[in-house]
Amino acid sequence: MINIDKKLKITIGVVLGLWGLITVIPFVWMILSAFKTNPEIVAAQPNLLPNEWTLDNFRELFQRLNFDVYLLNTVIITVLGFVGLLLNAMAGFAFAHYEFKFKNFLFVLVLATMMIPGQVTMIPVYLLLNQLGLTNTYLGIVLPGLTGAFGIFLFRQFFSSISEEFFEAARLDGASDFYVFFRVALPLSKPIIAVQGILTFIGGWNSFLWPLIIANDQRFYTLSVGLQLLQGQHGTNYALQMAGAAFMVVPILIIFIIFQKYILTGFNISGGK
Amino acid sequence: MKINKLMLGTTSLVAMSLLAACGNSGDEGASEGSSDELSVWVMGDGNEVTQPLFDSFTEETGIDVNAQSIPWSAVHDRLLTAVASGEGPDVVQMGSTYMAEFVDAGALMDITEYVEGSDEISPDNFFEGNVETTVFDENYYAVPWYTETRALYYRTDLLEEAGYPEGPATWDELSDAAMKLSERGDNYYGFTIPINEQTFGPMFAKQNGSPIIDDEGNAVMNEPEFVEAIEYLNGFIESGASPSQDLGIEISQSFGGEGINPMFISGPWMITAIQDQTTDIEGKWAVRTLPEGPVSNVSNTGGANLAVWNNSDNPEEAVQLIEHLTSTDSMLTYYENSSSLPARMSTWDEEPFQDENVAVFGEQLENSEHMPVIEEWDRVSQAYISSFEQIIVGGADVQETLDNLNQEVQTMID
Amino acid sequence: MKSKKAPYFFIAPAIGLLLTFSIFPIILALVISFTDMSLAGLADYSRINFTGFQNYQNILQDSIFLKSITNTLFYVIFGVPLVILFSLTIAILINMGRSRYFSFMRVVFYSPSITNIVAVAIVWAFLFNPSQSIGLINRVIGMVGIGPIGWLTDTSVSKISLVILAVWRSIGINMLIFSAALQNIPRSMYEAAELDGATKWEQIRFITVPQLKFSTSFVTITTIIGWLQFFEEPFVMTEGGPLNSTTSVALFIYRNGFQNNQFGYAAAGSLLLFVVIICATLVQLRLQRRAD
Repeated sequence: MINIDKKLKITIGVVLGLWGLITVIPFVWMILSAFKTNPEIVAAQPNLLPNEWTLDNFRELFQRLNFDVYLLNTVIITVLGFVGLLLNAMAGFAFAHYEFKFKNFLFVLVLATMMIPGQVTMIPVYLLLNQLGLTNTYLGIVLPGLTGAFGIFLFRQFFSSISEEFFEAARLDGASDFYVFFRVALPLSKPIIAVQGILTFIGGWNSFLWPLIIANDQRFYTLSVGLQLLQGQHGTNYALQMAGAAFMVVPILIIFIIFQKYILTGFNISGGK
Repeated sequence: MKINKLMLGTTSLVAMSLLAACGNSGDEGASEGSSDELSVWVMGDGNEVTQPLFDSFTEETGIDVNAQSIPWSAVHDRLLTAVASGEGPDVVQMGSTYMAEFVDAGALMDITEYVEGSDEISPDNFFEGNVETTVFDENYYAVPWYTETRALYYRTDLLEEAGYPEGPATWDELSDAAMKLSERGDNYYGFTIPINEQTFGPMFAKQNGSPIIDDEGNAVMNEPEFVEAIEYLNGFIESGASPSQDLGIEISQSFGGEGINPMFISGPWMITAIQDQTTDIEGKWAVRTLPEGPVSNVSNTGGANLAVWNNSDNPEEAVQLIEHLTSTDSMLTYYENSSSLPARMSTWDEEPFQDENVAVFGEQLENSEHMPVIEEWDRVSQAYISSFEQIIVGGADVQETLDNLNQEVQTMID
Repeated sequence: MKSKKAPYFFIAPAIGLLLTFSIFPIILALVISFTDMSLAGLADYSRINFTGFQNYQNILQDSIFLKSITNTLFYVIFGVPLVILFSLTIAILINMGRSRYFSFMRVVFYSPSITNIVAVAIVWAFLFNPSQSIGLINRVIGMVGIGPIGWLTDTSVSKISLVILAVWRSIGINMLIFSAALQNIPRSMYEAAELDGATKWEQIRFITVPQLKFSTSFVTITTIIGWLQFFEEPFVMTEGGPLNSTTSVALFIYRNGFQNNQFGYAAAGSLLLFVVIICATLVQLRLQRRAD
């Protein structure tokens, strides 16, 4: 990092602070609205702070919806999603440090999948999962999005920036390919794992479409589906939705703060820090 | 190299089948017992609204009901995938505008024999406008469940000042009242023209005698009856009696307080919304039947029906459940939980429907029609919205735009 | 020694899944795009007719499709540079401090990306509200005598509003990718430069930016692809309106496929979009290679 003096640091801090304030307004608005009543949210002159703080929205959320079931499903789906993270890392590593037949073709193929408009794939994928008997299973919900070009690409990009000699050293000591991957490469990629981990978490946490399409039973619904259920045909209870959204965001914030440490710990090839 | 390719193939195959195997083992628990329970799809959050009805059904008959709520935002997507795989529920709630396309796709079961053989769900019990959405080629594919219609909401205090204490009773009175109300100052209006409402313009066209699509299947959306109605609505925009853009404000902000927009046309769900959100105008608003147009004051009806999915294993039980859900008792409970109006006429004799505002909708229902029940209607109405938007927002020529619309709609129907 | 089989083992699961859930469906879509498949066809395959290039011919004459292409180009041209510039700037600025405050700022800038789209839609509908008394943005600019602006209702600004919203949402993740990469730059490089008398700006210009080459190309490509598939923002905020001024190609495809049941037509649109995205990515890669 660049060495900077105190004065510059304060200036930067102020600039970031102001910019951050503008950025965070909608987020704060959401959190505060969760403590308002619905008439107050749609009042003619909305205020940022609630006139009267209320916890009724949260209470109603848990009474009306099976939020405990949805929460459990969401956690299961999110955890399963992390298997995909490992698969992405493996593929990214192979593309960065191995020569094999059809390598370029396969990599282009991987990239191409990123460019497929998501709307086209829904029905074919659903029919496929139905054929495999995976409807009404957690696996069916997770499988279509388990690996992604974005993740493979990011890992490949990262592993390419590490010189080959680094791994050669381990191999000369007789380590197997898998040892090199799991014990040398993977630990090195902590910052990328952290970035990907957060993405995987958010993806699983907010997953909406597949839990709905695949499930023939409400027992497989996730929090995000529950949140959408709150939307009425005519008119919506905003306060309730805001409370749901605010409730959902807390775990992500916690995970983010934990993972952020890893992004920052990072690593340093040349050793000096 | 060949070995490597082979290995690649087998590994992925093994991986896939392993995954599939895991899936199957997990599946068993879920699908177990599906034969002796009925699955039902309801739209929106059904946990509170419909669950009590299913509970009482189980109590009466001993048949278990597994209800799944589908969020409104994803209803069409979910139904599509169900059609694709052929695996739907036993009983499904079908929005009246979806009926034509899903009947055409063969997704719903022909239940004519049940409907004709039952006193409970005989078509005579339900509003004609709703029954029309269940009949295709003289066969019945559903039973009406809840209905809705549109009426005029107005601020009694402001309308009294404008000289219409009972609200406007004709098209002329409506435009006159709106004009007067908009003269209260800048940013005050008289009447709301909802630009994105699919049925709004066509409803006024019907009041002017337009069939929209005639008996021979010709679109008549550029004939004088339709054009005059759109011109009538456009007049509100041109005179400033209605805002030309969606103001993006909630009902409490436009209808409450000073009454920026003191008249609008909407469905029965607005009654509770106004009661809950705008306590400041209690006793200062009312609902009335739509103002009389040159031909009629016909309103638009909609709502939802209950249908049996085509490959249901338990059609008898499914119909039994439909009979239960459309009984007077169930409809009363359902009304209390969701404010959805019963499609069964006799239910309207009950106490909750004697309320002044609710009764207006009962009266209007007797003069309500559904939009043409054709499978292309969704596309037709989207094309209409886009043309209406061009006229209202973009200031396009009415006749010319509707000529284009009519041509477009005709190709859709053909 | 590197095993020859190892790479295949490493890529097999990922490639297998992608082939099954991405490549296979797009091939299917290609087939569908030559048919008139509708809802009825989905239920009963015998009702599908082969129509040749009819869908492609029709879609290229569809004024709304053409409009959605211009809109999407607008989104890409304005959105992509803004996202890269902002997320890079923020990542570098945050990386200059080590205190709690700076890592807290990372959370702040990340918050938009983790907010559920349902809440985003509600909050931004209030922010963008055209009324000066309700819409926060109009209230603020009203204080300095501007406006009110019909952010989502005026056809000339609606696209800009969605770009603002989407940039706001996508800064977080890209900032994070840059942050991760910034950890990769050895401190010794800066120290050496400082000894040579380089200014802070020169250090950023000649060390940080070149060192971030990999991540910048990554962010550029993924951002371009993302914006070419721009969907969520117009879907929840405007549904493509007013007057289709915000309809993106992806939204057009969704509307025709999932609302109008014209799967053949929608598939043709998807295939065209797919080809455009591939071309854009290839051009981008070529440009980057030339820059190297």
